[in-house]
Amino acid sequence: MTAPEIIFDDVSKFYGDVLGVNRVTLHIPPGITSLVGPNGSGKTTLMNLMVGIIRADRGALTVRGISPDHPEQLMRIVGYATQYDAAPRGMTGLEFVSMALMLHGFTQAEATRRAWAALDRVSLTDAAKRKVGAYSKGMRQRARLAQALAHDPDVLVLDEPLNGLDPLVRAETIAAFREYADQGRHVILSSHVLQEVDVFSDQVILIANGAIMAEGQIRSVREEMHEHPSQFILHCRDAARVASMLIGDAHVSEVKILDDGAGLLVMTRRRDDLAAALSRIAIAGIEIDGVIPADENVDALYEYLIGGGR
Amino acid sequence: MNISTELRQIGVIARLELRRAFLSKRSFWVYLLALFPAVIFFGHAIEVKVRQDRWSREGTVQPAVLDRLNRGMTYNEVIKAAGTPIRDFEWERRRRDEDDTVRMRHVLLFDGRRRSDLTFRNDLLESVHTRPLASLDEDRQVFAGVFQFFFLRVAVFFGCLGIFLNLFRGEMLDKTLHFWLLAPARREVLLLGKYLSGLVASSLIFVLGTVLCFAALLWANDPVEVQQYMNTAAGHELFRYLLATVLGCVGYGSVFLAAGLLVRNPIVPIVIVLFWESIIGFLPQMLQKLSVLYYLQSVCPVSAPVEEGTPALVRLLLSPAAPSSVWVAVLGLLGLTALVLYAASRVVRKIEIDYATD
Ligand SMILES: Nc1ncnc2c1ncn2[C@@H]1O[C@H](COP(=O)(O)OP(=O)(O)O)[C@@H](O)[C@H]1O
Ligand SMILES: [Mg+2]
Repeated sequence: MTAPEIIFDDVSKFYGDVLGVNRVTLHIPPGITSLVGPNGSGKTTLMNLMVGIIRADRGALTVRGISPDHPEQLMRIVGYATQYDAAPRGMTGLEFVSMALMLHGFTQAEATRRAWAALDRVSLTDAAKRKVGAYSKGMRQRARLAQALAHDPDVLVLDEPLNGLDPLVRAETIAAFREYADQGRHVILSSHVLQEVDVFSDQVILIANGAIMAEGQIRSVREEMHEHPSQFILHCRDAARVASMLIGDAHVSEVKILDDGAGLLVMTRRRDDLAAALSRIAIAGIEIDGVIPADENVDALYEYLIGGGR
Repeated sequence: MNISTELRQIGVIARLELRRAFLSKRSFWVYLLALFPAVIFFGHAIEVKVRQDRWSREGTVQPAVLDRLNRGMTYNEVIKAAGTPIRDFEWERRRRDEDDTVRMRHVLLFDGRRRSDLTFRNDLLESVHTRPLASLDEDRQVFAGVFQFFFLRVAVFFGCLGIFLNLFRGEMLDKTLHFWLLAPARREVLLLGKYLSGLVASSLIFVLGTVLCFAALLWANDPVEVQQYMNTAAGHELFRYLLATVLGCVGYGSVFLAAGLLVRNPIVPIVIVLFWESIIGFLPQMLQKLSVLYYLQSVCPVSAPVEEGTPALVRLLLSPAAPSSVWVAVLGLLGLTALVLYAASRVVRKIEIDYATD
């Protein structure tokens, strides 16, 4: 049998008119996989789709062979620490974890025992009997982590799990992820800071505007980012002539005249070379009215993620 | 996944939810609604008791005296037999067409159980009206009216609305629904677990309301009459009232659970269901069967009093036709509930987290 994977096959999700994720195809092997992208890029959407608490409009997905249509099977092997801060009213930290365990079929005694163990792993035993509503943000974060871990799932899905953790707990948490992944399980986590996760991740998936920009091991992702072609729209009167001058250049992978004839779309692998080519054209006396980047600037995205989301 | 696992999950979900259903702030006014009639009936009972106490102290007469009162007796004869009355009030009446003034007199006698209201005209006993201090028959009629028009149509209706509508919708608003959706349970199991918790909570609260109200009814009335009632119809009637209460929770519960899955704005289902339930009297027989009230009507043991001379339209509104047999009604209501829950299960299978950020 091949390694159990999480498979997205051409999955799209819209919230009314708002794009959640668009045509995502992924094969995620076991290990630590980090979903990295700016706020609003679709990380939470992907995770919610994975556990079936939202439904894809198009495409299909399975988690280790199980479809989200069957929560009674899927959620046995999945633990999900959401980014939603609220716990059902009036629950203590201990109840928050133990009640979820009782829904897994554990007896009250066994559920309580396991809940204590899970809370201990996230250093939350002192606050176990206090109401979750009275916890600090970081404590709630850890309570959710404890709940996700408590039934020992094969797939651990964690939405921004490192947010709000102090450095010591963060290091311990990362070590726990490593240990978990080394047992052949999936650990999927999200972050908007690439540097926060790239050292310990086996795989990184970069996502922006609901689309996967790059995926793979962190080294190959870096290369992919730099080679990623960028698109520009050139506004000029004599579009056909400019196209003919650009099409032969080595760095240009595609040239398309716009439907209205008032310009063209150029795809280049090296922006410096395109800039040089444009000045040659200008010297030849052909007027170019404007140059506009046509897609989400991938380099900028990468810089943004590397720079810690600032 | 087998049936026994699922039944256990339903049990766990119901248990976890139940505590919250009883203690949540949202259910506070449900208690108010459920206990309101009992408060009124206890108030009535206390009033009767106080009056009985006071009149007993002020002097009772032998029961035989009340039985021997006859029209035509003189005032003095009556007073001689009865002693000082509890109330003795005299006034003069003059009619335009009569020359003489007429002396009228009202006298109230009490034998510890029954009151007699006597009217004298020129010192001759003109009318005698003897009845128990509280009238069980009358109170039963009032109870029937309060039960049907307030308890079922207002208290149970809005109580179930408050409890069941929020089972899913409330958790969506609180942003806590994912806690339940992340459980390894079929969505139908979650639905049934939540329904069961709402059903147990609402049934207990409203059964308590009904029982207290019934207790007040018995307490207020004459022990002899009550004893006789208990030996005959009381058990049967109480059972039917409790059955109607629980069935009301079963039926309205399922309707509002489903409504809470379908809409965000609670006003819409309230208005639709309220409208539907109040016009069923006008609907064809087929459609009436799709209303909860239609079935509850015939489970009630005593038909509610509708005043003589009520226009036919209003009469139809107040007490529409109902199935003839109680058990047909029970089965009908359970069937309707199953239908609604089935529809809800189709919806819940596709439910999505949608925590609007507003
Ligand atoms: N319930 C929702 N209703 C409408 N739009 C939503 C909803 N959830 C997410 N979105 C939109 O979908 C996009 C992706 O959001 P999300 O998956 O939460 O991103 P991330 O987790 O990466 O911050 C964003 O544009 C966001 O505004
Ligand atoms: Mg998010």
